[in-house]
Amino acid sequence: MHSIRILISQPTRLVLTIAGIALCIILMLFLLSVYHGVADGSVEYIRQNRADLWVLQRNAWNILRCSSILGTAHGLALRQIPDVHSVSAVLLLLSTVKNGDQMATIYLVGFEPQTGLGGPPHLVEGRSVLHDDEIVIDQSFAAKYHFKLRDVVKIQDDTLQIVGISAGTNAFVIQYAFVTLHRAQSLIGFPNIVTCYLVKARQGKDLIEVSKEIRKEIPNLEVYDHDTFLKNNIHEMESGFLPFIYTIAAIGVVVLTAILSLLLSVNILERRKDFAVMKTLGSPKGFLTFLIIKQALLLSLAGSITAVIFFFPMIEGIKKISPEVSAKTSVEQIMTVIFVAMVTSLLSSFISMQRLRRIYPLEAFS
Amino acid sequence: MKIPETKRWIVQLDHVSKIFGANEHKTAAVRNISLTASLGELLVLLGPSGSGKTTLLTLIAGLLKPTSGHMSIFGRNIDLYPPKDLQALRARQIGFVFQTFLLIDSLTVIENAALVLQFTGKPKSDSQDHARRFLKQCQIEHLAQKFPAMLSQGEKQRVAVARALSNNPDLIIADEPTGSLETKQGLHIIRLLHEYAKELDRCVIVASHDIRIAELADRVLRMEDGALLDTCK
Repeated sequence: MHSIRILISQPTRLVLTIAGIALCIILMLFLLSVYHGVADGSVEYIRQNRADLWVLQRNAWNILRCSSILGTAHGLALRQIPDVHSVSAVLLLLSTVKNGDQMATIYLVGFEPQTGLGGPPHLVEGRSVLHDDEIVIDQSFAAKYHFKLRDVVKIQDDTLQIVGISAGTNAFVIQYAFVTLHRAQSLIGFPNIVTCYLVKARQGKDLIEVSKEIRKEIPNLEVYDHDTFLKNNIHEMESGFLPFIYTIAAIGVVVLTAILSLLLSVNILERRKDFAVMKTLGSPKGFLTFLIIKQALLLSLAGSITAVIFFFPMIEGIKKISPEVSAKTSVEQIMTVIFVAMVTSLLSSFISMQRLRRIYPLEAFS
Repeated sequence: MKIPETKRWIVQLDHVSKIFGANEHKTAAVRNISLTASLGELLVLLGPSGSGKTTLLTLIAGLLKPTSGHMSIFGRNIDLYPPKDLQALRARQIGFVFQTFLLIDSLTVIENAALVLQFTGKPKSDSQDHARRFLKQCQIEHLAQKFPAMLSQGEKQRVAVARALSNNPDLIIADEPTGSLETKQGLHIIRLLHEYAKELDRCVIVASHDIRIAELADRVLRMEDGALLDTCK
C-alpha cells in the first residue's frame, strides 16, 4: 500500500509515466508481432510446400536473397533419375503490377498448375491458378490496392484476372503472387528458364540417397531437403530483419529504463526526508530497497496492462492504414515482453537506488 | 537488591569531541563532553541554537562517531558496533522524536506508529496491534486511520511520540520536541516523556532551548558552543 500511495500522490506524473512505459511495451510488442508476421509471411510458402527436395543452381541456398537460374534441360535430366517420382518447375521473379496510375512490386511465382507444387500455400478466397490469364494475389496486397476477386491486373502488357486471394504470402516488404509457369516465363521472355525444381521422390526412398543421386547425375546443382531449405530461408530472413528489430527493441528497453529510473529517482529525492527519517529510525537496508523495487514493479505492471489493452486496437488500426503490415501476436510474446519490462524495472530500481544510498540518517535532524 | 548506579548507565561519554571539516575549516560542534545518562532519568540538554545539542544527540544515537574521546551506549563502546548492529539498535532500543515530527505523509497514523516495529521484523498486523496501544496511551487512538496532513501540530507530535514509544525503547532521544508546539501542547508532550521515563524505567534525553521543560527534568545540562557549561537538578 505504501508504494501505491507514494505513486498516486502525484497522479499526473503517474499517468504520464505509465503512458510512457506502455508506449515502450507497445513498441516492443509491435516489433515482435511484426517480426513473427514477417517470419511467417516470408517462409510460409516454403513451409507449406509438399516437395521432398528443392533443386537450385550451385551456391543458391535460399529463395529470398539468392539468384538461381536453371534450364528446362535440368528438369528433363531430373525426370530421368529412377528414384525421382515427379518434378515441378518454379520460376520466381520480381515484377511490377499496374493498377491505374499506381505501380506495385510483387514477388511473382510461376508454377505448374497440373502438379500444384509451388502454388499458393493458403487460399482465403477463390481458387488457385489454372490458366495463363489468371493470377492469385496476397490478401494484404489486395487490401492495400483494393483488388478483389475477378478484378483484372496488368503485368507489363498482359492482363490477368484475379481468381484467388492467398494468405501466408506477405513478406512485409513484398508480397507473393502466383501465375502459371508458362505466363511467368513469357513475362521475362525466356521460355526455357526456371528458378528451381521441386522434386517428389518415389515412396519409401531415402531422401539423402536421392539427393546424392541427383548431384551425381547432374553436377553444379544444390539439393536441399524440405527442413534444411526452410531453415536456410529462415536464417536468411532473420539475418536481414533481426538486427533491425533488435536495435529498435534495445532502444525501447533503454527508453523504458530511463523513464523508470527517472521517476523512481525523482520519487526518492522528493521523499528524501522520509527516507532519512526511516534510516534514523533503524530501517533495515532491505526495507527501503524493497520499497523502491515494489514501486518499479507496480509501474511496469500498470504499464504492461495498459499496453496490452491498447495494443490490439492499435494493430487493427495500423492494418487498416497499411494492410501489408502483417503482425502476429501470441500469448508467449506478450509474456516475454512483460517479463522484459519487469526485468527492466528491476534494473531501473537498482539504478535509482544510488540516490537512496546517498541519503544519510543525519538529514532527519537538519 | 539495589542495582549499582553504574549498571543503570546506558549512555556514557568520556571527553567526547566532534569536529567537522579540516584545517582552517575545522569546526568543533561538540567539545570535550563527559556525561552519563541512566535508566529512569529525564535528561535535558539546554542551550541556544548552534550550541551542539543536536550533534550530541546524534552522537548518542550512534549516527555519528566522535572525533576523540570514548563513548559507550548500552554498555558497549560505540566503535565496536558494526553499522548493521547500530541500525538494529536504533530500531529496537532507541526511540526518536523530532522537532518537526517527521511523520511519513504517505502512511496513516497507525502505520507511522507501527513503522519501527516493522523494522524489527514484526509482521505488519502484529506491529499495528502493538502500536495501537501507544496511540491509546497518547490519546490519539481515534486518529489511527488518518493521514498526517489531516492532523493538527499537537496531534502530529503525539503520533511522533507514539512512534517513538512503540518499540518500547530503553532510550528516547528527542530533538526540540516542543519547538513547533504551543506551550500547553509542549508541556503535555514532555509530561508523556517524563511518565515514560519514570513509570517504565527508561532513559529520555531531550535537547531544547525552552527553559520551561527544565521543570520536569531530573537533570539539566546547559550547553554553549559545543561545550557543557554546567549541570543542575
